[in-house]
Amino acid sequence: LSSPSDLVVYECDGFTIAKNKPDVVVFPTSTEEVVAIVKACGEMGVPFLPRGAGTSLAGGCLPVGGGVMIALTRMKRILEVNYRDRYAVVEPGVVNLWLTNHLKGQGYHYAPDPSSQGACTIGGNVATNSGGPHTLKYGVTVNHVLGLELVLPDGQFVRTGGPTEDNPGYDLTGVIVGSEGTFGVVTKVWVRITRNPEAYRTLLGVFETVDDATNTISDIIGAGIIPGALEMLDGLIMQAVEAAFHFGFPLDAGAVLIMEVDGLEAGLDADAEAITAIAKKNGAREVRRANSDAERLLLWKSRKQAFGAVGRLAPSFCTQDGVVPRSRLPEILRAIQAIGRRHALRIANVFHAGDGNIHPILLFDERDPEQVRRVLAASNEILDECIRLGGSVTGEHGIGVEKIDFMPKLFTPEDLAMMLRLRRAFNPDGLCSPAKMLPTAGACIEQSKAGRRAAL
Amino acid sequence: MDAPTCTIDGFGPLPVVRPDTLTALGELVREAGARGTALYPIGGQTMLDLGVPPQREGVAVDLCGLDRVIDFPARDMTVTVQAGITVAGLNEIIGRERLCLPLDIPLAAKATLGGSLAANASGSRRHGYGTARDYVIGINAINDAGEEFKAGGRVVKNVAGYDLCKLLVGSLGTLGIITQVTLKLRPLPEQQALVSVACQDSSLEALLDRLHASRTRPVTLDLLNRPAAQEMFAQANLPVSEAPWTVLIGFDGNAAAVEWQVQQLRDEMCEAGGEKLALGLSSPALRASSLAADWDLWPKAFLTLKANVLPSAVAGFCRNVTNLGQPCYLRAHAGNGIVIGHLTEALAKEQAAGWVHVWRRLASAARGHLIVRRCPSSWKDASLVWGPAPPAAWLMHAVKQQFDPRSLFNPGRFVDGL
Repeated sequence: LSSPSDLVVYECDGFTIAKNKPDVVVFPTSTEEVVAIVKACGEMGVPFLPRGAGTSLAGGCLPVGGGVMIALTRMKRILEVNYRDRYAVVEPGVVNLWLTNHLKGQGYHYAPDPSSQGACTIGGNVATNSGGPHTLKYGVTVNHVLGLELVLPDGQFVRTGGPTEDNPGYDLTGVIVGSEGTFGVVTKVWVRITRNPEAYRTLLGVFETVDDATNTISDIIGAGIIPGALEMLDGLIMQAVEAAFHFGFPLDAGAVLIMEVDGLEAGLDADAEAITAIAKKNGAREVRRANSDAERLLLWKSRKQAFGAVGRLAPSFCTQDGVVPRSRLPEILRAIQAIGRRHALRIANVFHAGDGNIHPILLFDERDPEQVRRVLAASNEILDECIRLGGSVTGEHGIGVEKIDFMPKLFTPEDLAMMLRLRRAFNPDGLCSPAKMLPTAGACIEQSKAGRRAAL
Repeated sequence: MDAPTCTIDGFGPLPVVRPDTLTALGELVREAGARGTALYPIGGQTMLDLGVPPQREGVAVDLCGLDRVIDFPARDMTVTVQAGITVAGLNEIIGRERLCLPLDIPLAAKATLGGSLAANASGSRRHGYGTARDYVIGINAINDAGEEFKAGGRVVKNVAGYDLCKLLVGSLGTLGIITQVTLKLRPLPEQQALVSVACQDSSLEALLDRLHASRTRPVTLDLLNRPAAQEMFAQANLPVSEAPWTVLIGFDGNAAAVEWQVQQLRDEMCEAGGEKLALGLSSPALRASSLAADWDLWPKAFLTLKANVLPSAVAGFCRNVTNLGQPCYLRAHAGNGIVIGHLTEALAKEQAAGWVHVWRRLASAARGHLIVRRCPSSWKDASLVWGPAPPAAWLMHAVKQQFDPRSLFNPGRFVDGL
């Protein structure tokens, strides 16, 4: 694609505050084609970057340097599934949920399940080291990636890792995952497939206050129970979700917790009872239990599509992604409320509480530049507070272009210099995904129309 | 008093320096950098013979003086410690809060955390819990300029910056000196059980396939050949099975889940194998002995080989190497495809190299690799110890060149001379 009207689709991803059009978008169908494209870019000195489904919420697929966008959506084959050895080999454009659907009936699934799993690609998940609601027990993408095939910026391609464990040499797979497309273009992924839990107990705890809910989280983990998922929704988000899905959320409650234990049928009731007791001890008004698969699925649909439902609350919203140690959740949530008040913004919260991974949703109207300014200021304050509490500015969305200014707050110049050294080993000329992740000299983003416009 | 020295895998003696502060360590590295002196980081010295012996004079840097607990927020299930802490010391501290690091590191009383991570030590529970890369969420290290750098953080979920934790874990100290680590922990299980199943040669594949498909979810799945089973059972004062193969299946979790799994496995095994299977619930002694993980560093071994193959190929691989005729002691983490084989008989170099060659060919046929964990130091070179260079070796060299352009850290000891 190269016509302006086509390119406009690719000017941004899920982070719509900053935009820039690529000069051209290409759709390779094989590793060989990716090699040819990358080599051509190298010869002409044109920057390039890979893109999956464009669901990044941090500008991970923003073509800041213009150039060639390599859309991998046509490399979408599931190449191999080996149940006995518990791995699958996929191309990067395979949508996350396709793989799990493909495994259905065999008792296996692909564990990382970000909320966008119906759209996001596994290649994109590899780039950002995506998480999802089940990371507390099952880990994030990197814990499920065994090997990669990567086309480097000079057109060479390498294979790292593979279906066997403990391969000799450095764990390059481990650092390529989460490198946000700055090391090259991933063209093949070996992933671990995971056995399905035999059973679930899904509980919904209703709390008067956010503090009661967060204390419950700490106590559950403190009791030695690792739930499959532990998700919190505050009162504001509940209103939106309830209007959209009619699950039956109590609209007057301060917060609800979705608490799910999974695994073998045996022992699950013991865990569910222990969790119920802990919630009650922390002042839960009630603890409901999903009594059927249908109820459980509706509850999860409500959770995963909460962001979509937010459209009912305000014309625009900006989802933040921060992390604090689990025990600091009450403090960060109080801080978020205070920040919202200070900037006269409504902020809804729906997040992976078990990991301490918060997702405050700042509601605003993008047509009002004054509100946009306040949203950006409030976001920054929230992230600064995460750092102050010993956390991080991103748990799963990535640095992208959005949070590049926070890197020097999280890391010392020495830390960043070592990361830059690593990038030079892979991407010495900086043609691949320029101006991402690391704030380096020569990476001044031309935020010409970093248009402070819409934020989704 | 004589200055302390240390011999690393037959090379030495090297002078030992033991910095007690990060500043002192940084200064040491800076000076070494200026002079081009090689640095060999050491901890509990339990795995000094992993890799190729040093070839350059240098200094052994003892990290045992840096062993403080920096932060232990038990309710967050994380801990931040300096790298020189012993694994047993760490386990004791986190155990008081009923937490654990499920890595089964050999010789835990001596082994330091930093050394164990650099060597990527693991054991039986990797089947259920993974390996070091799954637990290190933050890391600090000293770079070639003597500066401390870090990556990751102290929270369990964090994608800010490149994940240098993954790079440093298993890098055998060749990219920098690990000084501090933040670990994700797990709760100590309420209950544990170990079941042993003895098995005839003809039904080995069927048994492992059956276990793969079992409704139970074991956290350990170890296969032992007869000599290894006899050695381990004898150490535990348990009656020794005469069967050619023994599978040890471990469970943990809450009491109800563990009890159900033991019963379920018993039922499944009876259905599958009839009289060929001997089933026994273990005593704690066997559990202790097999899980102690010291097995990988069994002192009686003359030659120790480690293969990583596809899990489905473990039975065939183990049978093939047993049938080679050289008596060996095999333990495999069958669910992960990791096979450790000890040969106790002293061999001539040519003969041993022949065995390694044959094992390596068999591992390769099972889509894996083979490394030599132990052999006489004088035999060693990168190709014997680590096997042929991996396909991404040139990229690994590029990373090494960036991190350690003067080759100060453990020069030449790792894969392909890294």
